[in-house]
Amino acid sequence: MKTIPTLRDKKRYIAFEIASGEAINRQQLFNEILTSFGSLFGDVGCSETALQLLSFDGKYGIIRCAREKTWETRAALACINSIRGVRVSILVMGISGTIKGATEKFIQKTLIKELEPKKE
Amino acid sequence: MSLFDSKFYDLIIHPEGSGSIARMAFEAQRYGYSGIAVINTQVPDKETIPPGFSIYRDIEISCKPGRLREEIKKHKNSGDILVVRGGDEEFNRASVETEGLDILLQPAQFNNVLAKAASDNSVAIGFNLGLLIRLRGDGRVQELIKMRKNLKHARKYDVSMILTGNAHSVYDLRTPREMAALSGLFGMTPKEAVDAMSAAPLGILKRKSPDYIQDGVEII
Repeated sequence: MKTIPTLRDKKRYIAFEIASGEAINRQQLFNEILTSFGSLFGDVGCSETALQLLSFDGKYGIIRCAREKTWETRAALACINSIRGVRVSILVMGISGTIKGATEKFIQKTLIKELEPKKE
Repeated sequence: MSLFDSKFYDLIIHPEGSGSIARMAFEAQRYGYSGIAVINTQVPDKETIPPGFSIYRDIEISCKPGRLREEIKKHKNSGDILVVRGGDEEFNRASVETEGLDILLQPAQFNNVLAKAASDNSVAIGFNLGLLIRLRGDGRVQELIKMRKNLKHARKYDVSMILTGNAHSVYDLRTPREMAALSGLFGMTPKEAVDAMSAAPLGILKRKSPDYIQDGVEII
């Protein structure tokens, strides 16, 4: 059964970009994010934040967290330095209140910016 | 206006190989920095660095506590930023009591006497956030404890603070907001973090410019 609207948790959507030497798959990335968050804030912190990886296409992705925990999530993402021996770094592009906002404002804008110089 | 609209600088970067400086400069500009300073490396030609971005030079001094004063005096007027990596108490004391030093990075043993001396000689305390990124478990706990203690002393005695990623490759660079989030782990407020990445480095760079004579006096 659905939670009634007044009891629903407030969420934030974090759009991020990943820089890595080799291709990273979705499962490996999410496991690493959980490990990093777990080692920083423990199981209680993990449960309060309710992390979820919503989409990831190999470079750009969106992760969901609780509204009050955006700084903690940023810190945990910043602490990731390698996934199974491959050096990576995660760049947070922006935080939005809706999935649509995160996609349009940050990811699509970056993609358009990347395309433009090729046209000239 | 957002808190994060200032100019940001990362004053301690260790590039490996000459080609990587240009790549790091490019990435750092994309991440929102206005300038970086590289340790013990020659600054590359203007053409290889992106426009509107500046690269400065650091000199890292590592020697015995007894020789520290001479070394700092030798490099004092070179126009480069002087950095000392924190060590035991004797070493930290020798470094903060010498005028001319700019940054004491991550001192392990810090107390009220050292903080007062650092404040008098305008030595900034560096927080090495790269350690938080690279270490896990007990090592990271120990570093966080040190940082918390250093922050307490720096607040009380009004010592300027510097946040640095201590990056060795492009994968170690983090955006200013991420640095602020990492500094929040040991109790720093976002406002202090922004000051430690923009106002404090700008103060050091101003002191190092050739027009500067002494506090409040400069050639226009």
